[in-house]
Amino acid sequence: MGIIIVVQPQSGVPVYRQIIEQIRFQIAGGVVRPGDELPSTRALSSHLGVNPMTVSKAYASLEQDGVLVRRPGKPLLVADRDQETVIESRREQVRVALAPAVTRIRQLGLDDETVLNIFRELIKEAKDEEAIS
Amino acid sequence: MSVLKFHDVRRAYVSGKNVLDGVSFDVNKGEVVGLLGRNGAGKTTLVRLAMGMIAPQGGEVSLFGMDPRSQPLAVKRRIGYVSEDQILPGFLAIGQVLQLHRELFPDWDDLMADELLRRYGLEHGRRIKTLSKGQARQVALLCAVCHKPEVLILDEPAGGLDPAARRDFLETSIRLLNESGSTILFSSHHMGDVERMAGRAVMLHDGKVLVDDDLDAMQERFSLLIVPHVDAGPEEDRRARLSAHPDCLAVRDRLDGWHIVIRRTPDGALAAAADLHFDDARATVLGLEELFIELAEGQS
Repeated sequence: MGIIIVVQPQSGVPVYRQIIEQIRFQIAGGVVRPGDELPSTRALSSHLGVNPMTVSKAYASLEQDGVLVRRPGKPLLVADRDQETVIESRREQVRVALAPAVTRIRQLGLDDETVLNIFRELIKEAKDEEAIS
Repeated sequence: MSVLKFHDVRRAYVSGKNVLDGVSFDVNKGEVVGLLGRNGAGKTTLVRLAMGMIAPQGGEVSLFGMDPRSQPLAVKRRIGYVSEDQILPGFLAIGQVLQLHRELFPDWDDLMADELLRRYGLEHGRRIKTLSKGQARQVALLCAVCHKPEVLILDEPAGGLDPAARRDFLETSIRLLNESGSTILFSSHHMGDVERMAGRAVMLHDGKVLVDDDLDAMQERFSLLIVPHVDAGPEEDRRARLSAHPDCLAVRDRLDGWHIVIRRTPDGALAAAADLHFDDARATVLGLEELFIELAEGQS
């Protein structure tokens, strides 16, 4: 399967939410594209070692939000969305990922410029690492 | 539809101490319920009651609407059972054990049994007494699932198994869920396994049901609020203010501050802290293990 989902018990985040977030993330990042098929509930549940009800709960929620499309008797599909929505969704994913860090940073009392510099350094390091590998 | 029912169940040790002191809950068809609680909380006693191995001294236990004591055969045909201390006769070969089960259960699935044996790397000719603890448990699980039971009852099934064997166990149980839509009641100390498998948790404490709730909902409803200690000022007063909050379940003194388990989302917890003028508080989600420990300790 093209999609990568890793479930971490004991993280404090319910398993179905972890599945939802990771699927959304990979759609926003373009790893999984509109029209791609999702593994069946059964396949994903045995692959992850989780209760099939948990997987169907995650799928149902994504379907509700228009992220996935259900077709009778066939695998779920990633829904078509226009470019603007995709970009908006990427922005939203970044916001979700960074919000907890922002809270921590503000608690540390660093000034904005220092924090932004650290962030730029981190991005540079990540890019350098990708270039090497 | 309820398939397993405990109604006001009471049972005491020979010493007279109550193990179960009025336990009531239903397990519905297709549900996976994790049975939690410390050692001595009464989990094994409850499982043994469901299996009809012992009788309740008060209240009622029923499976598929039947009493497991008065209709043992009709009930046992429809359930599978594995426990930590289950003993299979050592002098029998695996094939003979399987043959016994095939004769007992009309719905026995030979293909599934052979496939699981291969997966576990076991052969029909091996004698039970030559198996390791983990392998013996795998045979027990195989015997418990190959007649496609409507209800699977597991008492610390992974107790003493290594991570690979535990993973096999989990996968086999999940396969049963996928293929037969079975109902599972299992007790475990591995909170990670509970989180993977169960949709609902029932926690026993002092012979009573302390928590009976949807696991996802629980994780979303509770969080941990951390209020840093201050160098000066009356700490006890801070503690009292925190404890007095209606959503507060437990307050503990830790190295980095007061740790408060609160019946709120992290955002809600921060709002509660702001109401109490603790502006330097932070809030995080709470792992299930911590949550259950805090809930149990908060009781005593």
